[in-house]
Amino acid sequence: MNSLVSKFSSSTATSQLKQAKKHLQQEEEEYGEPAMWGSAGGFGNMAAGIPSFQIPAVADPTSFLRLHTDDAADPSCRIKIQHGTTTLAFRFQGGVIVAVDSRATAGSYIASGTVKKVIEINPYLLGTMAGGAADCQYWETYLGIQCRLHELRNKERISVAAASKYLSNLVYSYKGMGLSMGTMICGWDKTGPRIFYVDSDGTRLKGDLFSVGSGSTFAYGVLDSGYRWDLTDEEAQELGRRSIYAAGHRDAYSGNSCNLYHVKEHGWTYLGNYDISKLHYDGPGDVPGSAGHGYGYSERTAGLSSANDPAPSTENAPAVSVQA
Amino acid sequence: MATASVYKGSGFDFSNHVRNEFLGSRGVKLPKATSTGTTIVGCLFKDGIVLGADTRATEGPIVADKNCEKIHFISESIRCCGAGTAADTEFTTAMISSSIELHALSTGRKPRVVTAMTMLKQYLFRYQGHVGAALVLGGVDSTGAHLFTVAPHGSTDKLPYVTMGSGSLAAMAVFESQWRPNLERDEATKLVAAAISAGIFNDLGSGSNVDVCVITKDKTDMIRGFELPNERGRKERKYTFERGTTDFHVNSERIRRLVAEESITPFESPEAMDTT
Amino acid sequence: MPQQRQFNPYSENGGTILAIAGADFAVVAGDTRQSEGYSIQTRYAPKVFRLTDKAVLAVNGFAADGNILVKTVKQRLEWYRHAHAKDMPLRAIARLIQTILYAKRFFPYYVYNILGGIEEDGTGAVYSFDPVGSYEREACRAAGAAQALVQPFLDNQIYFKNQKPKPGQSHPTHLPLDHVLSLVIDSFTSATERHIEVGDGLEIYVVLARGHSAQGLSNIPGAQEISQTDEGERVFVVRRDLKKD
Repeated sequence: MNSLVSKFSSSTATSQLKQAKKHLQQEEEEYGEPAMWGSAGGFGNMAAGIPSFQIPAVADPTSFLRLHTDDAADPSCRIKIQHGTTTLAFRFQGGVIVAVDSRATAGSYIASGTVKKVIEINPYLLGTMAGGAADCQYWETYLGIQCRLHELRNKERISVAAASKYLSNLVYSYKGMGLSMGTMICGWDKTGPRIFYVDSDGTRLKGDLFSVGSGSTFAYGVLDSGYRWDLTDEEAQELGRRSIYAAGHRDAYSGNSCNLYHVKEHGWTYLGNYDISKLHYDGPGDVPGSAGHGYGYSERTAGLSSANDPAPSTENAPAVSVQA
Repeated sequence: MATASVYKGSGFDFSNHVRNEFLGSRGVKLPKATSTGTTIVGCLFKDGIVLGADTRATEGPIVADKNCEKIHFISESIRCCGAGTAADTEFTTAMISSSIELHALSTGRKPRVVTAMTMLKQYLFRYQGHVGAALVLGGVDSTGAHLFTVAPHGSTDKLPYVTMGSGSLAAMAVFESQWRPNLERDEATKLVAAAISAGIFNDLGSGSNVDVCVITKDKTDMIRGFELPNERGRKERKYTFERGTTDFHVNSERIRRLVAEESITPFESPEAMDTT
Repeated sequence: MPQQRQFNPYSENGGTILAIAGADFAVVAGDTRQSEGYSIQTRYAPKVFRLTDKAVLAVNGFAADGNILVKTVKQRLEWYRHAHAKDMPLRAIARLIQTILYAKRFFPYYVYNILGGIEEDGTGAVYSFDPVGSYEREACRAAGAAQALVQPFLDNQIYFKNQKPKPGQSHPTHLPLDHVLSLVIDSFTSATERHIEVGDGLEIYVVLARGHSAQGLSNIPGAQEISQTDEGERVFVVRRDLKKD
């Protein structure tokens, strides 16, 4: 830590960070140090139990970070943090369906097509990943630790509401410092299936249906038109798959494949990975809820496309025929 | 259709300038011009001039051309090496070459190096550096052997040995330590090749082969690939794809038969045609 | 005109790294050129480092940040050895690197990391990281200056993207070692041809799981054994020259 900065800088970011640390410190002091987080190879006491962050020795660390990492403002910035996503989750009679794409982009480059955007916080909590990949991965892993500690202290599982609020408060303490995450915390607790939307601005919303990311508009289009509370499990799974397909098909920053999860009373199950291109041409294959054919081309154009041979024309057929 | 009559002068068309400035200010990247981030040199020797150049052309960090020609023709005994924006060096030298030819035709004399140099600097100065050509001009005329550099803004130098481009420092180091007056022909070509090699190996903007051009009173020798120190690496594997392994969706993408039917009706008997 | 200066502690030192996981081995490679702008700082600056007997780390981006990161990781692994009398498992090293990177979330290390090695279950693994610590296990990954040149080639040759198997056949899930090594070498000779920041030398680390014979290395000249565990994991390094222009 740069003591000079903390001593002399009046920048809000630094003082905010101090506040954030104080907030966390309180938490830790109350219950003792968890040695495993940031553990120095068993020397738990050598590294503080709470995460601490090094800050550049400049007057305004936040704008420093933005200068070097914000590829939207400056495409030639050096450190490209991965962006671009479609994620969705919805609540229905049978639990929660969580579906995400798997593309990571850095500018116009597809950095990866195999990203795991569902973070398995623990066997009954899922978090989705949109925005900064590292921010989501790191803080949701951290959340997993805190959830486990909650179980040990209180002899009962944390509610989805409490878990999401923990995360929300945590990222809110870093507000304005450049964290970027838009996540849905999904699970099943005493109150039943629950979804909370949490983002790095500090927003926390309870709801039945969310989609987050650059492809969310496309996903919402399919989702809203097909959503009912009394969807069967199979129908719900198919709706999740179909919505991510739509986003993957139309949003350049989403795609590659769809990962599908179903949260039920006794925790989540992973249903599989579906190639978006395969969904387009062949459909999801032999899975429950499958329509048995592709979502795209063949279905929409069967017998109606210029790719087909021209229909045999009769002698005096009009140049343009309008079909009723 | 009515179109506004707008005066259009000859020369460059600046009509997109304001738009492009605006787009640039909004963060839109303009397309990168191929640049010859280059090593070009020239030196005087006993009987004339030796010019040298590497053969790498780049677009940012990517090698666009591994064997491009950077020694341009001005006249039979005047040649010009170009560094900077590839299109600018090519068109500038071609245009001056044309003017020099016309000038030679109208005066009935062999062209002089200073004439080419003056035409180049006046042209480049007019465009205030926006024509990005950095040149090494050399040749032999009735007044002797002359060697110049022409910078993009139009300033010129007359020196016994010169270097330009991103590899100019590496190349100049070789000249500064080894050049002397009245070199023999093969000494001079070797020295030029060594200077270019220094650029090729120490400057990332330069690479591939050494081109050399020796200009004397009677003869000009343009030697492409005077040295080839960077032959293409041999691959460990073969990467041919076997027939039938191209992935495309047979069911959904078919090429429509565009021609339904074609018949030819001869309207004259074949015997009528005389092909003798 | 008012003038403003910005603190800029970052620089870009070129080069490319690459790693491929096999069924019971991992290959991690990098070129050895270090450059800044159009000048070469050195023709031999290793970008690939052996961390343990079954873990190798490749670091690319800003060399100063990379060196300090490798130093930190090695130190933390030594502490672990003293505390637990064994090497840290690969997946734990991956998580360790995440926390080290994320600790500098607001002042990032400008480095792209690829970790390769053998998991506790004996399978070959590759983990790739972004500069602030998000990571993922993959089968192959290229990073650095020529990433956009090499990765599509790997996608085609390793994941068989845009390739259909011949009728009645199927694509292999894992390639044998000698095949992988030749793909790595060809990736770098090709990147050297078309990218100005790649060249000079190539260093390939090969980590073999226990029981894997060094068969594929026998016809690769210049393979040198670096370490061997009692359990039978072996680390080799292969050095090759690349074009220097």
